[in-house]
Amino acid sequence: MTGLAGKRGSRWTFGARSRRDLVRYLSAVLLVGVAYYVGARMGLTLSLVERNVTPLWPPTGIAVAAFLLGSRSLWPGVAAAAFAVNLPISEGALAAAVTAAGNTLAPLAAAVLLGRVGFRRQLDRRRDALAIVFVGALASTLISATIGAGTLVVSDAIGSDRLLNAWAVWWTGDAMGVLTVAPFLLCLPLFRELPAWSPARWLEAVAILVVAGATITWAAQSELRALYLLPPVVGWAAWRLQLRGAAPTALVVSLVATWSASQADGWFARESVFERMFTLQTFNACIALSSFFLAALVTERNRTAAALEAATVELEDRVETRTAELSAANARLLEEIKERFEAEEQLSQEEARARREHEIAEILQRSLLPDRMPQIPAVALAARYEPATSDVEVGGDWYDVIQLRDGLIGLAIGDVAGHGPSAAAAMGQVRMALRAYAVQDPSPVSVMSGVHRLLSHLAMPEMVTLIYLVFDPATRTLRFTNAGHPPPLIVGGGKSKYLENGLAPPLGVTAEPDYMEYRQTMWAGSTLLLYTDGLVERRRESIQLGLHRLVREALRRQGADVDELCDGILSSLIEMDHVADDVALLAMRPLSVAGRPLALTLPAEPRVLADARRVLRQWLRDSAVTTEDEDEILVACGEACANVVQHAYATAPGSLVLEARIVEGAVEATVRDQGAWRAPAERGGGWGLQLIRGLMDSVDVDRTADGTVVRMRRRLKDAEHGGGG
Amino acid sequence: MTDLAHVDATTVDSTTIVRVRGEIDLSNAAEVRDAIGAAVPDATTSIVLDLSDTAYLDSAGIAMIFRLAERLGYNRQELRLVVPPDAPIRAVIRLTQMDRIIPTHHSVD
Repeated sequence: MTGLAGKRGSRWTFGARSRRDLVRYLSAVLLVGVAYYVGARMGLTLSLVERNVTPLWPPTGIAVAAFLLGSRSLWPGVAAAAFAVNLPISEGALAAAVTAAGNTLAPLAAAVLLGRVGFRRQLDRRRDALAIVFVGALASTLISATIGAGTLVVSDAIGSDRLLNAWAVWWTGDAMGVLTVAPFLLCLPLFRELPAWSPARWLEAVAILVVAGATITWAAQSELRALYLLPPVVGWAAWRLQLRGAAPTALVVSLVATWSASQADGWFARESVFERMFTLQTFNACIALSSFFLAALVTERNRTAAALEAATVELEDRVETRTAELSAANARLLEEIKERFEAEEQLSQEEARARREHEIAEILQRSLLPDRMPQIPAVALAARYEPATSDVEVGGDWYDVIQLRDGLIGLAIGDVAGHGPSAAAAMGQVRMALRAYAVQDPSPVSVMSGVHRLLSHLAMPEMVTLIYLVFDPATRTLRFTNAGHPPPLIVGGGKSKYLENGLAPPLGVTAEPDYMEYRQTMWAGSTLLLYTDGLVERRRESIQLGLHRLVREALRRQGADVDELCDGILSSLIEMDHVADDVALLAMRPLSVAGRPLALTLPAEPRVLADARRVLRQWLRDSAVTTEDEDEILVACGEACANVVQHAYATAPGSLVLEARIVEGAVEATVRDQGAWRAPAERGGGWGLQLIRGLMDSVDVDRTADGTVVRMRRRLKDAEHGGGG
Repeated sequence: MTDLAHVDATTVDSTTIVRVRGEIDLSNAAEVRDAIGAAVPDATTSIVLDLSDTAYLDSAGIAMIFRLAERLGYNRQELRLVVPPDAPIRAVIRLTQMDRIIPTHHSVD
């Protein structure tokens, strides 16, 4: 039978398409026939009365199992075997054929009906257990019992009075055959289809079978009514092993019980045939019913548990998957946030770096510009630097005022192309180089050539425009040379002039520039203005317009002092809150002293003494004083100033005031300080006061707690000053 | 050297002529003294300080010249001055009576 396991359906029909299928079909028919015949022979050995009342008829179970596992088309094997079995025990061939037909029709009907009710041969649901009992066993075998018993009566094998009895025996025998044998056969394929048993489970199965076999054997042989011991054992098998344990156990138990009943062993010996029959059939029915029902129940429960577990697992899986998805999404989100944060941070770092660079460049530039104008008595100076308001650009604009020997004043203004720290640094180098060259030799051509050579050696990438001028206060003469810079402007007295001569290419452009020196005298009351292009250049506008504007604004303010002049020009020419390019502006105005009293305030330091004398000399010359008077007044005033420088401010720096005027043909000079003046006579030598007294007509030293005033007077030799000799 | 004064020296045989151009005042007197000292070789026995081109000389400069003469005297070196009659500093020389203490000539010759 195992060869047919799982081969359901209509594959083995007469319409089998291949020879191989036909061979397989015929083999199956033969196998079913042989099994049916063997089962029948076994069943006959279990007969209670003579050889035809059999309480257990296995072939019916075999036929039902064959139709359920294989195909109902195997019926010829069943029919042939049934005929072969019945022929020797029937009254003629016809009776045997009719009986065989009944024997064939019953399992066929069972198979059809079970198919109708949706029976599953795995017997793993309660309805399957109910179906095999009521439809497969009890209902369908009514056919074979009726036909078989009827045939017995009709063929006169038995009397009609025994019809009911024969029918009942036939029916119960067939039913029991189905109940005990069919489930056993149906369970065999399950050993292959269901998960294999572990060795421990096999051991348990064998143990159950042994216990069941031993118990039923003892119970059947015993004089006691011990059959009730069996249900727990069958229950155990069903509970632990389901159909695969229950069906074999039930089979063994039923076979042994039936065998014992047929042999009238033990306790069965006391009973009548009917009583034995009744006891056996109820016993077998109970065993079959309870074992299959319990097995189905447990299977169902197990399946529910498994489904529940699978659902749980699936749920866990889904939770796990969902959690993983969520955490992946979360990680992505975090990564995105992190990236964005980093980008923002980088951006802010870059902004900060740009800002820092701007600040550095501006600080650098401011530190490179003179923090204040030098105090030069001969000239008034003012300068302004206005950085571009744009957030990144710091230019290379710069200016410088250098005091040179012989009272000369060096003036420079320039523009290093480019922006940022490198431009500011380049500017610093140019400025320092220019200073060094100017001190060495103030000549404009010499200074410009020197700076040009230096820049060539430095291989400075930036282009530099530069104008350098030397001003001699004594002659009010400017000497200058210009390397590509906007022209300086002289304004004053209603006149203006741009110094457009001597324009050479910017520094670092040509290899060997030919610098030329040009001269310009500043007229009385004029002011020199130096500036960078930011002052006069506007976008989409000719620079000529800017230059005209500068002249106009400068002339409007020609009377103002140099600081007011610078502020006024800046505010009128550029938008102070939006400076497109850096602007540097430098104003220098020679002090006009002729005919007016002289008043100088200077820091009381040794280096200013020469300046003070220079201004005083210029003033004396402008006042048409003779050379002798000039020389001697200069020494007297110089001594008074030197005394202030040397003695007035022992602890803290202070200032020195020199005033001079011409009154009634005499020069009155005053030197004052706010310190503790001591008479030159009080220190070694005493040459100072001696000289002052020797050179001046009168000397008056007025010493107070607030300081000292030295008043000196000298009558001038020349009568034109209104004084007598 | 400061921008205010320039010192140069010419030595012929044992005589060194030191010429000071510019101005001598409180701010540079010490430097001028050092420059003169440096310009005079030890072998020189006679030093001529030419003040013809000295535009300005104040008490600090006078004191410096007196000390210079004193120091040279220790070395048995003689100092003489050249102050032309029309020199801007002549009044200072006269008032301090320097020409009475240090031999003074109108010219280098």
